[in-house]
Amino acid sequence: MTALLQVRGLTKRFGGLLASGGLDLDVHQGEIHALIGPNGAGKTTAIGQLAGEIRPDAGTIRFDGQEIGHLPVHRRVALGLTRSFQVTSILPAFTALENLMLVHLVREGHPFRFLRSARQDLGLQRQARDSLAGLGLLARADIPAEDLAHGEQRQLELAMALATGAKLLLLDEPMAGLGPTESLAMTEILRRLKRQLTILLVEHDMDAVFALADRVTVLVSGQVIASGPPDAIRADPAVREAYLGAEAG
Amino acid sequence: MADNRRHAAVLGLTFLLLLLLPQLATALSKPDLLTLGSQIAIYAIAAASLDLLIGYAGMSSFGHAGFFGLGGYVVGILAFHAADNSLFLGIVPGLTDAWLVWPIAIAVTALAALAIGALSLRTSGVSFIMMTLAFAEMLYFLFVSLKTYGGDDGLGFRRRNALPWIAPRDDVAFYYVCLAVLAIFLIAMRHLVQSRFGMVLQGLRQNERRMAAIGVAPYRVRLAAFTIASAGAGLAGALNANLLRYVSPDSLHWTMSGDLMVMVVLGGAGSLYGAVLGAAAFVGLQSVLAQWTEHWMIAMGPILVCTVLVARRGIWGLLAGRR
Repeated sequence: MTALLQVRGLTKRFGGLLASGGLDLDVHQGEIHALIGPNGAGKTTAIGQLAGEIRPDAGTIRFDGQEIGHLPVHRRVALGLTRSFQVTSILPAFTALENLMLVHLVREGHPFRFLRSARQDLGLQRQARDSLAGLGLLARADIPAEDLAHGEQRQLELAMALATGAKLLLLDEPMAGLGPTESLAMTEILRRLKRQLTILLVEHDMDAVFALADRVTVLVSGQVIASGPPDAIRADPAVREAYLGAEAG
Repeated sequence: MADNRRHAAVLGLTFLLLLLLPQLATALSKPDLLTLGSQIAIYAIAAASLDLLIGYAGMSSFGHAGFFGLGGYVVGILAFHAADNSLFLGIVPGLTDAWLVWPIAIAVTALAALAIGALSLRTSGVSFIMMTLAFAEMLYFLFVSLKTYGGDDGLGFRRRNALPWIAPRDDVAFYYVCLAVLAIFLIAMRHLVQSRFGMVLQGLRQNERRMAAIGVAPYRVRLAAFTIASAGAGLAGALNANLLRYVSPDSLHWTMSGDLMVMVVLGGAGSLYGAVLGAAAFVGLQSVLAQWTEHWMIAMGPILVCTVLVARRGIWGLLAGRR
């Protein structure tokens, strides 16, 4: 089985800090692959490099059989690789519906249409409504995104990432700042997505990680110290010491 | 919906007033009003084009006068060569027909903006402001050094560009031409900001990282916006040269860029139509205050500060309400 995403020797240094020290990672088609590790382990930097925002110093990134390490962010999105952000990242002045309409119009590939009104475009509106409905946000379509509750904003962000038509989602702490009920709701949403696409999940919420992940990779100081099924990871003494143990103690 | 009606009312009244300005000038026997009216219409075009950058795209260009002045110099230089039957750079003959000269002015400024924007947009924030300022200053000193075209003193010419059915010396007719160009320009800009392109542009202002993450190439979109806006300034500059039958390096000086920014902020950034009100307020205040003192900016400054503090969305926001 070849991996949908195949990372080899990914290296990134910020001054004296080794954020990614020769990272190897395989994410297989259809799985939820969790990337965990203590703060400062280099998880977000890894996501940034996979998404194309940060240029790695060395290493290769193959996605869907193609080397993408040199491509800018928008080209990777077009291939089906999209990220979400740790800090909620939406378009605050636009309504929820407009946020989604924007994603669909970019996906259709005509950002350079100058004259026809976009907001009145019924086709775009319908697609955007479908996307919102998928995450239960349809009732909130006409609310400016900045006025949505935090949990709704996180869902909106996820809806936007999904609407790009992604094959692989890079989710950077989708549960961040969510209350216990909202976290459970988000876990449920991600579980439903599992059949449709592949997810690389960075998350601190261990309940969510072990409930969702098919495989887990543990990162400490930019190095992979373990990778495997959740049960094996839970039992791994090195992991317990470096990460889970530290948290428990 | 009530807001929409209020919009239409403010917009309708403004244009009605502008339409009747020549009659008003005659009735009050103040012929100067007509020149002021043309000046307002022309500045409104330049300010509206700058509002596309500042208010919609979130790109604070501080070099807009560079393109305004460049458009004017296209008119001036072509008129200069037409007058003495010589060739520009030894190949281009002089021209005086508006239907040729104005599109050329637009094309030349668009090309200049494409080049300047391509470099400036590699930066953002304060660096972008400084880059645009620097390029406009380079244009300024270029025209100061061109002694053939008047250098410091500027370049005058005898006749406005010829338009079909319109007598070149008819000031009222020229005023209506400016007003018509303004109306067409505003309609085009309204369509632009509501188009797919306009939505992407406003998205980039709000959150560039998010836009990249949904598949937008920010650089190309911004460059297109910069080029379109600058071409609008070039058109305004061409009209301005026609109004005054004169161009000078002053029209590309950075203080002119500052004046245009003041108009945008005064009128209300991100409102497009606010540019008309901003230009009217600026030109009106300038002409009133300048009668009292040569240092009219002393009074203009506090007025601007008060407007920004009282009405964060400018005069347009004050009159027409939110958005």
